[in-house]
Amino acid sequence: MEKGVFRPKRRDWFRAFLIASVASIVVYAVWAWWTPWTPGRVGGLTFGTLAALLFVVDALYPFRRRWNAWPFGTVQRWLQFHVYGGALACLSVLIHVGFRLPNGLFGWWLLLLTLWVTVSGLAGVYLQKRIPMVLANNLEVEAIYDRIPELTARLQTEADTLLAGTPDLLQRFYSTTTRPMLASLAPSWSYLVDFRAERERRLAPFKEVVTYLAEADRLRLADLQGIVTEKFELDVQYSLQRILKVWVPLHAAPAMILMGLLVVHIVAVLLF
Amino acid sequence: MAHPTPSAPNEGEPQPGKPNIPTAPDLELIEMSRLKAYPFLAGCSEIVLKKLQPHLKEQRYEAGATILQLGGYSDAAYYVASGVVGVRLTPVNLRREAAAAEVAAAPRSWADRLQEIFNRTPAEQAVQQAAKPGRTAGGETLMLTDLPIDLRANEEVLLEAGEVFGEMSALSRYPISADVVARTEVLCLLIRTAGLRLMFKQKELAGFKKMIDDRYRARTLSTHLRNVSLFANLDERAITSLRQTAELLSFEPGKQIVEQGTPADAFYLVRGGFVKVAVKTGEANAAVTYLRKGDYAGEIALLLGEPWPFSLFALEHVEVVRLPRAEFQAVLAQHPEMQAMLWAATVERLKARGTVAREPLTSRYLQMAMDTGLIHGESVLLIDLSTCTRCDDCVRACAETHGNVPRFIREGNKFRTWSITTSCYQCTDPVCMIGCPTGAITRPLGTLEVTINKDTCIGCHNCVKRCPWGNIIEVPYSSPALNRQIDLATKCDLCLGRPAGPACVQMCPHGSTVRISFKDMVAVSQTLS
Repeated sequence: MEKGVFRPKRRDWFRAFLIASVASIVVYAVWAWWTPWTPGRVGGLTFGTLAALLFVVDALYPFRRRWNAWPFGTVQRWLQFHVYGGALACLSVLIHVGFRLPNGLFGWWLLLLTLWVTVSGLAGVYLQKRIPMVLANNLEVEAIYDRIPELTARLQTEADTLLAGTPDLLQRFYSTTTRPMLASLAPSWSYLVDFRAERERRLAPFKEVVTYLAEADRLRLADLQGIVTEKFELDVQYSLQRILKVWVPLHAAPAMILMGLLVVHIVAVLLF
Repeated sequence: MAHPTPSAPNEGEPQPGKPNIPTAPDLELIEMSRLKAYPFLAGCSEIVLKKLQPHLKEQRYEAGATILQLGGYSDAAYYVASGVVGVRLTPVNLRREAAAAEVAAAPRSWADRLQEIFNRTPAEQAVQQAAKPGRTAGGETLMLTDLPIDLRANEEVLLEAGEVFGEMSALSRYPISADVVARTEVLCLLIRTAGLRLMFKQKELAGFKKMIDDRYRARTLSTHLRNVSLFANLDERAITSLRQTAELLSFEPGKQIVEQGTPADAFYLVRGGFVKVAVKTGEANAAVTYLRKGDYAGEIALLLGEPWPFSLFALEHVEVVRLPRAEFQAVLAQHPEMQAMLWAATVERLKARGTVAREPLTSRYLQMAMDTGLIHGESVLLIDLSTCTRCDDCVRACAETHGNVPRFIREGNKFRTWSITTSCYQCTDPVCMIGCPTGAITRPLGTLEVTINKDTCIGCHNCVKRCPWGNIIEVPYSSPALNRQIDLATKCDLCLGRPAGPACVQMCPHGSTVRISFKDMVAVSQTLS
């Protein structure tokens, strides 16, 4: 586990969130003890409105990210609000329904989407903190995602050039064991959990073949091992950066549906 | 003196110790017989002349041609071989806002104005702080005269054959202090910086060095001293006294200037180059900070009479002014107000030492900056890879601010968990500005940002080749002025004119991008450690 993954980046925001959450729960507990609690009464409506407002401001974050000239603070500040505001919105929804299960299908959709968006959001926070730490602390290679396929292809060419004209043993080792590793990107979801074992596995054949080689060829083998290591790190970079990219639609698409349903919900409440 | 036709202009000059700068294989050497025709070289042996040959170049200018431009940078001293040049000092607006206004001249909507009010972010403050020149008493760009005459604003003075100008900019990278224009057809002998340094080492050319030093002492040192905050309020007598006793010293890269523990017998003022301040930690010399032109060292020695608490090493070619302790203390006795400033400087230095002692990692960052040349940067863009999610929002924001062409590449060298992006460092001494044929690349006086005017850039690659760090990028551009496609040189301009400061910093959702000057040890310690 990378250190600091669960440490809040901005403690002031975290403290404010905790205070707001505790205050909301206390208000709910006192209110619900004093008078019956339903989503349609003053208390429930207040928290429902609060949740809707928080959702709306949260939904503005992607626009802030894209709109360079948008006023009102840095994107980082908006992201902090997006995270803590989103979590608070989820809590407000739960308070809004009085921590009870909904009755109708529409209510279920709203609740499930709220929970999905919140949980996937928190998972995103975790991934966005853990993956950069893993990449920065454990890998030597740093690469831009879109360029990784090109860099991989270049490594293979480099290895082909390096191994040209070498003795048969080294050639065979290269063509049967190493070249397939360099042939194409080999991403894996498992790298999120651990990639050291795979690195060991890929480099193990080098330890075996080195004893059979002359001194000059050993230097080439060391260079080849460097290329294989670099390729492996590119695989890890690609795999982990891909997770970050795949996560976005998993969070954003349901969030958009939730916003749509929220509008329907508000209109329905106002009309009926 | 008769001078044959000058050699063709060369495209790039060798700069030892600087990466990425091509040499000029096609450089035409001036014949020995012609070199000997120059009076100051007449007494030189063939061996010395052969050494100098690659660093000398003849250049002819038509009447009316601009030889040097106020505020520009040059890598050569100019010896007027024939003809007359006019030197004119034009008053300039030194304010950063003036430069920004030039960029943001377009009419602003109400939204822009609103944005200006609400967008006063820490990023902006950081940039504004970094933008403060802070190296001079007046808070303005320090320009030292390297002309053999005293100038008044708007007055033009003529220089004739035998005069030398531009050596200060060449040796110490100060901005050119006046416009120099050919008034008749002019032939100049350009002595490249490396050539000047070589000449200073030759016994046969001792007279030339003495002439340059005397001129510096007589015309420039007073201004230089006055621009150091410590001496800003001294009366003329005190300045004269310091000036007379000052020694002008040069150090090769790597040379030790003073040694920790030895008796401190002088005060050092840096004229040019970068100096490492280091303390002995075990067997190593841990970097505490560095000095650049206008900085000084030795105040602890003057106040306490103690040995040097640190060593000074030249990181590159360094020019210093050495003021002996006795003379300095005499001035100090007459000006007790200086003591307060010296104490403040002492405290700052001790703080820096304390930071390194507490957080040795800081020293590693500083050493890395010295090794890689990042100390040259006034605003280096770094990305914290341990928090960066590789979302590329910084690049996107940069592109959007600059007509969809990003001014930096996120890839670069990696140091520990930091990525040093391929982005202009806004160097203290912007060597990219040297030799731009159209003056398209400029740093408005008093500002930090080196900018390229796309209307006057002709895509000659000069600045691209000169940037030691490869931070100027070429992009295809259809030039309306030239009516053809060119490779336009583009570089980071710190989003000059954008009220919220650099977009890359402001638009990063994770606060992973920072702009930093390695001179600010506290910031380095807080940000990077």
